[in-house]
Amino acid sequence: MRGLWPLAWSEFRLNLRDPMMVFWSLAFPALWLVFNAVIFSEPIPGSGYEGLNHASFLLPGGISLVILCASFIGVPITLTNYREKAVLKRLRVTPVKTATLALSFSISNVVFTVVGILVLLIIGRIFFDIQVLGSWVAFIGVIFLGMVTFLAIGSAIGSIAPSFRAANIIIWTIFTPMIMLSELFLPIAILPAWIQPIARAFPLTPINTILRDIVYGVPLDDLWRLGVLAGWIVIAGIITVRFFRWE
Amino acid sequence: MTVIVECEHVVKRYGDVIAVNDVSLSIEEGEVFGLVGPNGAGKTTLIEMIESLRIPDNGSIGVLGLNPVKEADELREKIGVQLQTTSIQPNIKVKEGIKLFAGLYRQPLANPEELLKTLSLEDKADSRFRKLSGGQKQRVAIALALVNDPAVLFFDELTTGLDPRARKNTWELVKDIKRQGKTIFLTTHYMEEAEELCDRVAVIDFGKIIALDTPENLIRDLGAESKVLFRVEGGDEAAAEFEGLAAVSRVEKIQDEVILYTTDGSATLQELVRFADKQGLRLGDIRTEFPDLDDVFLTLTGRELRE
Ligand SMILES: Nc1ncnc2c1ncn2[C@@H]1O[C@H](COP(=O)(O)OP(=O)(O)OP(=O)(O)O)[C@@H](O)[C@H]1O
Ligand SMILES: [Mg+2]
Repeated sequence: MRGLWPLAWSEFRLNLRDPMMVFWSLAFPALWLVFNAVIFSEPIPGSGYEGLNHASFLLPGGISLVILCASFIGVPITLTNYREKAVLKRLRVTPVKTATLALSFSISNVVFTVVGILVLLIIGRIFFDIQVLGSWVAFIGVIFLGMVTFLAIGSAIGSIAPSFRAANIIIWTIFTPMIMLSELFLPIAILPAWIQPIARAFPLTPINTILRDIVYGVPLDDLWRLGVLAGWIVIAGIITVRFFRWE
Repeated sequence: MTVIVECEHVVKRYGDVIAVNDVSLSIEEGEVFGLVGPNGAGKTTLIEMIESLRIPDNGSIGVLGLNPVKEADELREKIGVQLQTTSIQPNIKVKEGIKLFAGLYRQPLANPEELLKTLSLEDKADSRFRKLSGGQKQRVAIALALVNDPAVLFFDELTTGLDPRARKNTWELVKDIKRQGKTIFLTTHYMEEAEELCDRVAVIDFGKIIALDTPENLIRDLGAESKVLFRVEGGDEAAAEFEGLAAVSRVEKIQDEVILYTTDGSATLQELVRFADKQGLRLGDIRTEFPDLDDVFLTLTGRELRE
């Protein structure tokens, strides 16, 4: 694993130098939370959640946004960019192992995501008195699982996208429906019936829903939802291994 | 002498294209070996097979006694590489990049940052890679190829796209590396570059090596003549007499320019000057043209190396 930490640290620093990455993963979710918490005082009727302020309701959505943005912009965009500019090829002709490379990129992305989530928690705590009634351990565990799922999906997109441009198109095409249909703020129950199963199959939905259950201290009897994440990890993993190219 | 790179009957196909066709060559320690050929000749394909980045369809390759297919990890520890399309993370700073790459090797240079000085990159140490000029990027590429103090280096079109001054500077760097006793395998479009830098040159065309020797031998074997060109007023009467000058085989006259074809340019030139003095002729625009590796390519293939 020689080179693991230097590579991870270097990628993390490069993420901080990338305005797209900083805006979408650090600033945008925080702005989204603040904006919604200030404008609306309570959830859209039909959410079925009661007892906490609106900022607490929004927190899981903000965290989901950080996970989505950091992995979608961090992984496929970086991967296709490095492939097109032959950075991957240059790294490949050094003795660094493929596994080391993959792990170091993952670590830097995870750390970046964690920074984004901390920004949300700090803002939420200081200005909006957000609360989490359920277990913090479960909360962190679900976040971690969500990050792994989205790292896998990001790698899969980066591997099948034929170019940097194509990766951009794919990502922005998925991005909006993902935000609208994953229960970040719109309850699935109020969506048209035909779209509900699709929304439930989206990878962001279970992350968001379970996190929200934990925030409200609702008993976690819907753990089958984690199966959706496992399914996504397996599919994305297979696509990555099958389609990954160095150049 | 120790053999550093050895290729035997190496073949690589892409569909119907035979990118590298039955290439055999061997490079000795301390040698600068050049692979010269036009676009699409197979230079990159061959050099990248040797670097362990592509797998040959046929034949065998050995580098420092290692097999690039089966012992790629070990090989990558020991070679230095500059790729044709060289690039590192666009936003990384030069100094960071050099340190990062050094950290990937088992035995990096004790102080890789000294490379900044060697390659005159000190004032660019904190610049981002994407903001560098083409010449500076190439120097970073050379620095990265040196971070593990490799015994053998591979340069794929090191000077393509550089202006003449940057090219000359790069040549000096290559000569410095050679002076350290390292072996160098380079590819180029430029015959003058091959002549300047290489101990031996292989000419490759359509995947096949069509000539391999020292630049001097390649030119000599051509048996081509040099030319002495000049202008002279009223040279019409003298033209016949020019033919009698030492080593001249033929005289041509185009408008008022006279061209002497000679097998020994220097001897002809000396006699010409003496002759003109005696006859009271005024010579102008005297030039000589010696055959070079470009002529070698033209003769071997019937085509110019670059259009
Ligand atoms: N990955 C590939 N897939 C398909 N064909 C390829 C591939 N790489 C090279 N070729 C083909 O093999 C031949 C040799 O290409 P190569 O890049 O080795 O030439 P080159 O001598 O390096 O040319 P240049 O001077 O333009 O860099 C070309 O016809 C090229 O189209
Ligand atoms: Mg090439």
